[in-house]
Amino acid sequence: MPDRIKILYIDDEANNLLGFKASFRLDYDILIANNTNEAFSHLEKNPDIKIIFCDQRMPDKTGVQFFEDIRGKYPFPIRILITGYTDIESVIEAINRGNIFRYVKKPWTDADIRSCITEADKYYTTHSILAVKNKELQKAYDELDKFAYSVTHDIRRPLVSILGAIEVAQHIDDIHEIREMLNMMQDSVKNLDNFIQSIHDYYNINRGQLQIVVINFDELIQELLETYRITSRINNIQFTTNINRQEDFRSDKMSVKIILNNLISNAFKYQSKNNTEKKVDLSISIVTGIATISVRDNGIGIAQEHIGEIFDLFFRATTEEVGSGFGLYTVKDALIKLNGQIKVDTVLGEGSTFTVTIPNK
Amino acid sequence: MEPQKRHFIIIDDSKLDCFIEEKMVRNTGMSEKITIFQNALEALELIKVRLHPEGLPKTVLLVDIQMPVMNGFEFVEAFEQLPENIQERYIVYIATSSTNENDLSRMRSYKSVVSLMNKPLATKTIIERLSLHYA
Repeated sequence: MPDRIKILYIDDEANNLLGFKASFRLDYDILIANNTNEAFSHLEKNPDIKIIFCDQRMPDKTGVQFFEDIRGKYPFPIRILITGYTDIESVIEAINRGNIFRYVKKPWTDADIRSCITEADKYYTTHSILAVKNKELQKAYDELDKFAYSVTHDIRRPLVSILGAIEVAQHIDDIHEIREMLNMMQDSVKNLDNFIQSIHDYYNINRGQLQIVVINFDELIQELLETYRITSRINNIQFTTNINRQEDFRSDKMSVKIILNNLISNAFKYQSKNNTEKKVDLSISIVTGIATISVRDNGIGIAQEHIGEIFDLFFRATTEEVGSGFGLYTVKDALIKLNGQIKVDTVLGEGSTFTVTIPNK
Repeated sequence: MEPQKRHFIIIDDSKLDCFIEEKMVRNTGMSEKITIFQNALEALELIKVRLHPEGLPKTVLLVDIQMPVMNGFEFVEAFEQLPENIQERYIVYIATSSTNENDLSRMRSYKSVVSLMNKPLATKTIIERLSLHYA
């Protein structure tokens, strides 16, 4: 049973070990060790040990020493010392140094041990939750750092460009040249707007609660076809879609939309300029509880050495097209929330296929 | 005596920035030729072979920091790996809109980087820096 509390008990007297195991094995998962070496090997093999009971008086080292030794390498299990009154000085010191959580006096009663286990388990759980929260906080904090950095770069940069262009334009009389500059300035403004839109998408995914509904993929496909109708005509890109739906699919609509939008937009964006048969294909299949979304293009592809980095925040693999470095990072984050997966098959110069799988909720 | 004109190379992934910098450089009246690269790697490949025209004073490189594929740091590091007789034909200036002190001081620490200029570049700045460093 995976949910039983795993406990390690160390004592040099075999009778104590057997007694302990006999009393508690029905309710808890008990590991026993006759000496500290054995205890180390249990700790090595069982990272899920929650509580350690250790006798103070053992021939190779004291319980206090043992706890001090393992504290660095195995900080998570709750340490409880078993000892007689005569050792009280070393116990007090060990508690004050934070090496042990409780002590149980010898001879122990079942009730003593059980109450210790209950308290230790609560403490362990609180600490684990805290550790997870801390990790999340650290991630949020690191992202914030990246954000602050990116604001100065990705938001300030187009503004500085436009400012420069305005200064240059003030000394130009040729209306054609001015128009050319206006076009470039317009692109800069569009990029900035896209960038801000991607920040918005990203925060929608991260801060919003999931709202699980039946996803109408036909409707989503129609919206995409409509959105890309003009782009595909102007750039001469053939956009094909197909769907194989064998069951209803439930998921968070916003996340699914953002994933689709980013993948399709990339497929349209990273096309080879000289290709006469540019293609983007979207296939969706919903079979046995899993939606598989596959977006294929025959565009510029991605160099092998960059495949590991394309899902990183603000990473861009090419100078050919303007990207924010936000899209695939947002996709990855959305997929984490939906327990989905993404993989990419790509050949530089031949195209890329991104395949997303999302389990039905 | 009029200073002899030079070759300028602009390395920046933004089309608009390249356009602006080209204008600014042209307005200095100090350019014999201007070459533009939107990809630093391509620029580096050509510098390796030979981009500096014989008989002209040192070629000026204006390099952006934030670029995909090869950023300004990677470019300068790769440039410093080139043979001395190639490096000595170029003057490296960094043109950036970055205000990040880490980025800026890291850039200043490279021995090949002569100085940093803020974007948008001004014709006056280019003339001043060049006459300061290479009168």
